[in-house]
Amino acid sequence: MNDRIKGRFSQGFLHLILLLLVFLSFYPLLFTFLTSFKDNEQFFKSFFGLPNPIVWINYKDAFNTLLPYIGNSFYIAFVSIALILIISSLAAYAFSRLRFPGKEVLYIAVVALMMIPGLLQLIPRFAILKDFGMLDTYRGIILGYVAGGLTMAIMILRAAFEGQPEELFEAARIDGAGEIRSFFQIAVPLVKPTLGTVAIINLLNIWNDYLWPLIVTSDEKKFTMALGLIKFKTSFGNTTLYGPTFAGYIVASLPLIILFLVFMDYFMEGLTAGAVKM
Amino acid sequence: MTTQISAPPHKRSIKNKNYQVLCAALFLLPTFFVLLSFSYYPALSAIGYSFTQWDGFFDPTFIGLENYRYLISDPIFWISLRNVLLWSVGSIIVSMVAPYLGAEMVFGVRSRRWQYFYRSFVTLPMIVPAVVTIEIWNFIYNPEFGLLNNLLRTLNLSGLIRNWLGDSMYVIPSLIFIGFPWISGLNFLLFYAGLQGIPTDVLEYARLDGCTGLRRMFHIDLPLTVSQIKLTLILGIINTLQNVTTPLLMTGGGPGYDSYVPGLYMYFEAFKRSNFGYATAIATVMFLMILVLTMISMRINRKDS
Repeated sequence: MNDRIKGRFSQGFLHLILLLLVFLSFYPLLFTFLTSFKDNEQFFKSFFGLPNPIVWINYKDAFNTLLPYIGNSFYIAFVSIALILIISSLAAYAFSRLRFPGKEVLYIAVVALMMIPGLLQLIPRFAILKDFGMLDTYRGIILGYVAGGLTMAIMILRAAFEGQPEELFEAARIDGAGEIRSFFQIAVPLVKPTLGTVAIINLLNIWNDYLWPLIVTSDEKKFTMALGLIKFKTSFGNTTLYGPTFAGYIVASLPLIILFLVFMDYFMEGLTAGAVKM
Repeated sequence: MTTQISAPPHKRSIKNKNYQVLCAALFLLPTFFVLLSFSYYPALSAIGYSFTQWDGFFDPTFIGLENYRYLISDPIFWISLRNVLLWSVGSIIVSMVAPYLGAEMVFGVRSRRWQYFYRSFVTLPMIVPAVVTIEIWNFIYNPEFGLLNNLLRTLNLSGLIRNWLGDSMYVIPSLIFIGFPWISGLNFLLFYAGLQGIPTDVLEYARLDGCTGLRRMFHIDLPLTVSQIKLTLILGIINTLQNVTTPLLMTGGGPGYDSYVPGLYMYFEAFKRSNFGYATAIATVMFLMILVLTMISMRINRKDS
């Protein structure tokens, strides 16, 4: 009995500390959220208070300015991820199911890229895009993300293909199915969750990235969400308008938060897999 | 007649072999096209450019080891190296200790539902775009209107008010402090997964032996999750070494050179001062440092798995 009371007490204490930590982690976001409904007068007069009255127009400003940039980011992310998934699953299938000379060496050539930091490739990649007239194009930005995302995608997908039973493919071969049909009709449908994980790793990378689009775009129409947000923040001249700026931060965060709430378990999987496979 | 239905076994296997090689070539073609042109070639040419003087416009001129000779005696480079070491050591300590304790606490929660709740809430801030997190912390540190100084003023602690990002003394500690209380991060998920991987009978024996709380953490949990700890340590260092965005958006390297880091120095040399040759020399040195760390992490990974 004594033990149980002690246990309940320490569980309560644990919850207290955890709730406090969660609150502290969230407080800056909460503050941003509350301030996003204030005008500058409210911001200065009731810094820690609730917005009163609620200034909805901040969100209108933020949405109107940021929506095109968010659209650009989504387009870039969508095309990059589609290309990464197609190209890497073909390669991963070859590395796990097909027999051909030089397989080991070629696979090591792919994996070795893990040891090369993106920072080293940044300047020559910029130079290549410049030489081919691909600065300020979506193609250029996408090419960078595809090249950067392929290695890890191939590693993760190869592991997934290797987990599939060989008998499935033997049976298909006896039925006269070629490798291309086996790939599309047997291998790929079975690794759908892994494809989801790879997609999320790359979505987070692309959504978070600031440096690569900063270097290769100068045309404001082509700006990604990250670039557009910084431009929006500095667009008010000398006095920062905190309400619209903070509404912008919320608007920029919303798409992924909504995706996260819908695909929570995929996200958890993607986040950890992405780190471990580095 | 049978030969028409099925070819002799050796012939069929040769045909099948060639077919597999052909398919493999087809399947690997796009990957190697992208990787050779946009990963291998850039990496090699970066090292090549580091032996040249190059403004990014006219053709580079070969100058041998001149960039490296200059780099060794460049005080800004050494300052930036010192800064990145302080920054990465500091942020790695906090971003490992806090999530580890957090993971232990969540793991210690008895109710499954509450565990799931905490794990989800700790994951959520990771989804916020990096630029937004950086800008929110930029605001927190704002000397006049910032959240931190306002909080200190409200708590009657005006004596502690500082120009957090504008003071040489406080700029690196302020960068380390970003993300307080640091529980919410990838490391939390990794450590939590590590703790969940400890066999339940081990934990059961420990409980029966009266080995609980901090004693269990030191004698059972830490030794059994040591691979996760080593991995996150190396990954953390590699990520911080490559982080250009945070100092670029928060301090621009200032005040003076007090928050210059090599990655930022490289960026400025290339894209602000058009010294692409020198910038690639900085990048090459960074590459060698990261390479050593990556090789250590791979060795650790192999040993543990």
